[in-house]
Amino acid sequence: MGMSLSSEQNHAAVDAAVSAINGRFDGSGIEATSVERTSGKHFHFLRITSTPRHWLGLAKFLRFDLGINYCSMITGTHFPDGDDDRGWEVAYHFMRMPVVDQLPGQCLEYKAADLTGHDIPLEVEVFIPLAKGDAPSIDSIQMIWKGADWNEKETWDLVGIDFKGHEDMMRVLNPHDSPIGFHPLQKQHRLRYDGYNEMYDDAQGFGRKPVDSGLVK
Amino acid sequence: MAQMWITMGPQHPMTHGLWTLRVKIDGETVVDTEPELGYIHRGVEKICESRDFTQIIPYCDRLCYASAMTWAHSYCYAVEDLLEVDVPERAEYIRLIAVELQRVASHLMWLGAYTPDVGNLTVFVWCLRDREMFLDLMQELGGSRMHYNFPRPGGVKRDLPLGFAQRARVKIEMFKERMKEYEMLLDESTIFLVRTQGVGYARAEDMVNAGVTGPNVRAAGVNYDVRWAHPYSVYDEVDWTSSVEKPGSVKGADCYDRYRVRMTEMEESCRMVLDALDKIPGGAESHYQSGDEKILTKVPIRAPEGATGHHHFEDSRGESMFYLQGGGEGRGKYPYRVSIRSPMFITIPFVAETMIGYKIADIPAIMGSFDPCIGETDR
Repeated sequence: MGMSLSSEQNHAAVDAAVSAINGRFDGSGIEATSVERTSGKHFHFLRITSTPRHWLGLAKFLRFDLGINYCSMITGTHFPDGDDDRGWEVAYHFMRMPVVDQLPGQCLEYKAADLTGHDIPLEVEVFIPLAKGDAPSIDSIQMIWKGADWNEKETWDLVGIDFKGHEDMMRVLNPHDSPIGFHPLQKQHRLRYDGYNEMYDDAQGFGRKPVDSGLVK
Repeated sequence: MAQMWITMGPQHPMTHGLWTLRVKIDGETVVDTEPELGYIHRGVEKICESRDFTQIIPYCDRLCYASAMTWAHSYCYAVEDLLEVDVPERAEYIRLIAVELQRVASHLMWLGAYTPDVGNLTVFVWCLRDREMFLDLMQELGGSRMHYNFPRPGGVKRDLPLGFAQRARVKIEMFKERMKEYEMLLDESTIFLVRTQGVGYARAEDMVNAGVTGPNVRAAGVNYDVRWAHPYSVYDEVDWTSSVEKPGSVKGADCYDRYRVRMTEMEESCRMVLDALDKIPGGAESHYQSGDEKILTKVPIRAPEGATGHHHFEDSRGESMFYLQGGGEGRGKYPYRVSIRSPMFITIPFVAETMIGYKIADIPAIMGSFDPCIGETDR
């Protein structure tokens, strides 16, 4: 039988983290909740909603007090039709991994059932809404998790969220000479064939798409 | 001595795809590196915003040609979290079989691509020969050789074909014998050992902090694995252990450790497939029609605004992940935002830093040992 983390361990770890964060950041607009996944094993994970102002303090608390040592992904989203205080949103996904350096010739083989305290793996999701406007910005966490470095580069490149304090910001997926201010995942940019449904509008595929009509084939 | 920048790539045998590594050298020693990515950026995330949830699966297949099945599954688990779907148990077993077969095929592709980098062309041919056995098995499931379009939100497209279990068992037994041939060819080859041992050290904690996961971390001596740490599917019901390697130095795992951990992982995946074929509910020899509720459950086609779904998945190269937001166009028929976490996008900058201090001839050995794949990196 393969091993796996039990749901009791999972609930205990998430509940401990929730009470630690809510106790530490009480009244600052940071709210931590335990959320049940809606598929699979229905495990819980930690979801935090924060304000950009307190983000750096929260990030340091996560890293150094709760032992969350791994930054999985940073996602920026553009909400042009959203509320004034949520024109953009940054979603962070972190995980806690019980990984420690090993001496030569030794290895650490965890048994999932024996894990306790900060060794229990944990999933963290952090939502930070940003105010509407042309220049969304938030503090960089590059110096806390090195893995956030290229995630932030990608988020700036594609979505246009500015990470304050990030060193060496550059285009990573778009060409280096892309126009300043061009960030393709912002919602005002549409796909070329947007609104055209190949399956219904031209089932046989002989026609030209409306946007291409008049162009030399 | 004068220092100079040289450019390796985008067309270079070391890169295993289209990207550029700019290297600053002092004599033969690497003193600085700078990776440049984005040569095959196709904008998958943007395209997905105008596709419905089923239409996105073929795009996920094409994220990585060596590991299409795992990426499509990674996406489907995230969609199920978004749409609040529970998958039937038989479908979970079929998924596990498909993913683990793909993991073996992916590691074989890695081994085949890596060994010519370090001077052993024979293994390349042998690996591709044996990979065909696994591609054939997955072709039986998905209908095509590399891009299977196999899983669906809520289950799988088709049940196991008749006779699949028998053919899978025979091929896996044959493959286990051939694993011994690889080990004879590589572990007893002086050239291979000289090129891989003692180069490319990386410590476990550094790797996790830099966002590197999967076999690369397990090579450094910790059996951390998303499959048991954040359990999904039926990995707790089949027989397996997470493969782990003892690092050879205080400096962490070298290229040889990363080779060893992938070899044991292939064995574990084979063991898992055999066990899942024995334990699958309903029996591996029975065959349900496509769309039967035992292999595919009903799913809603719309996700409400404000709903989110994410799933951490153990890809063959590390932790992959999808994050989806519901409430896009068509009253929620399309996702509002799809975000893809590619393990290699984060790993490549880390490896580029790891190379500093080694000789220029070690660059292919170090880079290849981390299993780069550019399709998923550039998306």
